[in-house]
Amino acid sequence: MSSTTLTPVGDPKVIEELEGKAKLRKWLNMNFRIEMTDGRVLIGVFLCTDRDANVILGACSEYLKSSDGETEEPRLLGLVMVPGRHIVSIQLDNTNPPQKYFYDE
Amino acid sequence: MDSMPAAPEVIYNWVDITSDFFKYIQDLQLGELLHDGHLFGLFEAMSAIEMMDPKMDTGMLCNRGNPKPINFQQAVACGKLKIDNLEPSEIIGIIDATMACIVSWLEGHSLAQTVFTNLYLHQPHSIINKTLKAYCIAVYKLLDCIKDCINKAQVFEEEDFLPMGYGYRLGSNPTMGNAYDVSLEVSEQKCTAMLKEQEEELNKKARSNDDEANDLWAALAARIRFTRMFYQALLKITKKDSQSGADCVTLLNGCSEMIKVIIKTVGKGTQPAENSDTPNPMGFEPMVNQRLLPPTFPRYTRIKPRAEALQYFEELVTRLRHAWKITSCTNFHTALDFFMEFSRQRACILSRSALQLLYLSPSPASTSISLGSNVPPGQRPHAFVEILRESVKTFVNPPALSGKTASGVNPPARELVENFLSRCVRPFTVLVQVCGHNRARQRDKLALLLDEFAALQEEADNVDALIGTAAELVPRCFSTWILYHVVRVMIAYLLSGLELELYSVHEYHYIFWYLYDFLYRWLLSALGQAETLAGDVRRDKKATNRKQKKKVRPYARERLMCQVMQNMCGGYYKALVAFKLQGKIRQPQSEFDNESVRYKHRFAPLSVLSPPQVHYHEFCEMTQNLQFEKPVFLYLEGCKHFQEARTLLETITIPDQEVNNLLKVAKTNFVVLKLLAGGHKKNSSTPPEFDFSAHRHFPIIKLV
Repeated sequence: MSSTTLTPVGDPKVIEELEGKAKLRKWLNMNFRIEMTDGRVLIGVFLCTDRDANVILGACSEYLKSSDGETEEPRLLGLVMVPGRHIVSIQLDNTNPPQKYFYDE
Repeated sequence: MDSMPAAPEVIYNWVDITSDFFKYIQDLQLGELLHDGHLFGLFEAMSAIEMMDPKMDTGMLCNRGNPKPINFQQAVACGKLKIDNLEPSEIIGIIDATMACIVSWLEGHSLAQTVFTNLYLHQPHSIINKTLKAYCIAVYKLLDCIKDCINKAQVFEEEDFLPMGYGYRLGSNPTMGNAYDVSLEVSEQKCTAMLKEQEEELNKKARSNDDEANDLWAALAARIRFTRMFYQALLKITKKDSQSGADCVTLLNGCSEMIKVIIKTVGKGTQPAENSDTPNPMGFEPMVNQRLLPPTFPRYTRIKPRAEALQYFEELVTRLRHAWKITSCTNFHTALDFFMEFSRQRACILSRSALQLLYLSPSPASTSISLGSNVPPGQRPHAFVEILRESVKTFVNPPALSGKTASGVNPPARELVENFLSRCVRPFTVLVQVCGHNRARQRDKLALLLDEFAALQEEADNVDALIGTAAELVPRCFSTWILYHVVRVMIAYLLSGLELELYSVHEYHYIFWYLYDFLYRWLLSALGQAETLAGDVRRDKKATNRKQKKKVRPYARERLMCQVMQNMCGGYYKALVAFKLQGKIRQPQSEFDNESVRYKHRFAPLSVLSPPQVHYHEFCEMTQNLQFEKPVFLYLEGCKHFQEARTLLETITIPDQEVNNLLKVAKTNFVVLKLLAGGHKKNSSTPPEFDFSAHRHFPIIKLV
């Protein structure tokens, strides 16, 4: 992280890099809905990611994809790491403004 | 769940960001984490469950292609589950699979993932086939009884046994969940009566049918009979009453016979499909309880194969029969030896628990906590006090307990002794309990126990001193008795480190030195003192007790074994010092190592007791002479020790397995050290190997 902030800001490529990270940062603490390769859907708070798209979701619930249309009780999983290679799609909940859990000093 | 007020509906507005997300993450460096540093760090990240990891993700398997697990009603409705008109081979298959599940449960898995994957057990009262119904109800009762036995004995740890019931109502009303129906109550008597009735029915069928079918019915009858007898035997052990003795032995013998028949006929039942996770084609749904388990639970339990499970049952019955012999151990010392021997064979949790209950039921360890250390006068002392009193009496025969001498009738002295004995109850029952735990857990528990024994030692010294002033001359009876047990616990503690492979080779020399020069020496002297004490008094008042007179040297065998061990330890110690002198043992780099710290740590639990711990500086002082010896001389010394051990062992007329193993070790090491003394591999710096395969504590030294 420190290495990127130290690079001179003139380079357009670097600016874009920073943008990508800034966008991701905005999504932190928002609700994500991730569909996995085995068809399960996870809904939880986006907490952390890395270059390989491994995503950590907090207070996560697991929804089984119901073929017969019947909705099942979600199963509460808590803190969950979804490996990037198992992610099929990611959706973001934009109903509420992201809750702020802390204040910048 | 239905009764809970519906949570307010959450409305989401999902926007797909998949492609953006995958684009943006490319801006991250390899290994860089994008996270909110205030609330979430690497530490939290590490505790997340990894999805799609077969070990961590419980939801994974059940979704993979498999349809949703079906429950009892659904299975019956769609014809997958027969509740009537079952072929005998089908029932045999179900019973054998259920037994395999029970074994898996007894090996530490959860009930929900083992026995209760059997759908028949979800609604035993809805089964129409009478044999299967009786069996299923009996399984409930049996599980309850097993759980009761293990819970009462309190010698399990989380790795041994999972007591959770997951909402299945074990016990008198075998139903699931909250559906309680009084009419379905089944008492123990009713359960056994049901099984007996089925047994007779099946035997009738076996007689009336032609050869092949007759075999099947007989095999089924054997299973029902085994279940009944096993259940009854276990009930008798758990709710031990004195009259049931002969009964219980007969039942267990019957179990042994039946299990042999069951093993022989294991092929008669329906078999699980190859590579299938289901223990039987019909009636089992491995994932049916998945939702009852917490999210981080091991998702999946492999059920033990039938043949192995049945063998487990056979061994279990043998162990239970063996455990029964504890009831004839009247002497505490023999009982304690029995417990230690039993534990050495690494018995299963159920037999270990049964052994505890057979000896001490209900456990005085738990009752004496509530009583506190001071039993109010007038309260009936626990039977265990009597056992201990007998033990002291036979071991050292203190005048205070003999009842005939002056101090015996002296009320203050008597009270003193009574108080002391009642204080002994807890530490000694805990000692028995520790022996019931699994081998790996015993070590820590022994260390804790040493603290309690330290307090007892003080007390014993006081009692001896005070009685001494009351009567004219009284030897240190109680102290000797306590000392004997303390030293045994200390030895067990040090040896367990060898068994659990906790010490490195470069530490062996002081471990063996301590055992050789102190612990076994103290034990021998305690035994010697006990013999003199007991003998003295006996001579004083000739022929008061005919029984005691017969045994002249009651501890001859124990002393001999003690000398053997001492010599073995001496042999290792000398050999190890010689190895060290010859540079054959890899030493840790001095800047990372401090022998004194390690020494202190190894012997720390012994520091609270008397005889006082031998400190590191004393160790250095006492052993420094050896540093100047020639290795050859040390090898010869070691040789002599092993030779001595061997000679002693060979005097034993009826050697058991233990003696034979020790003999093998002593003989081999004798030869190896002889070779070394002769200069064999003198210049090689290859470290010798220590092979514990022949004996768990005493390794065979191997030169490579």
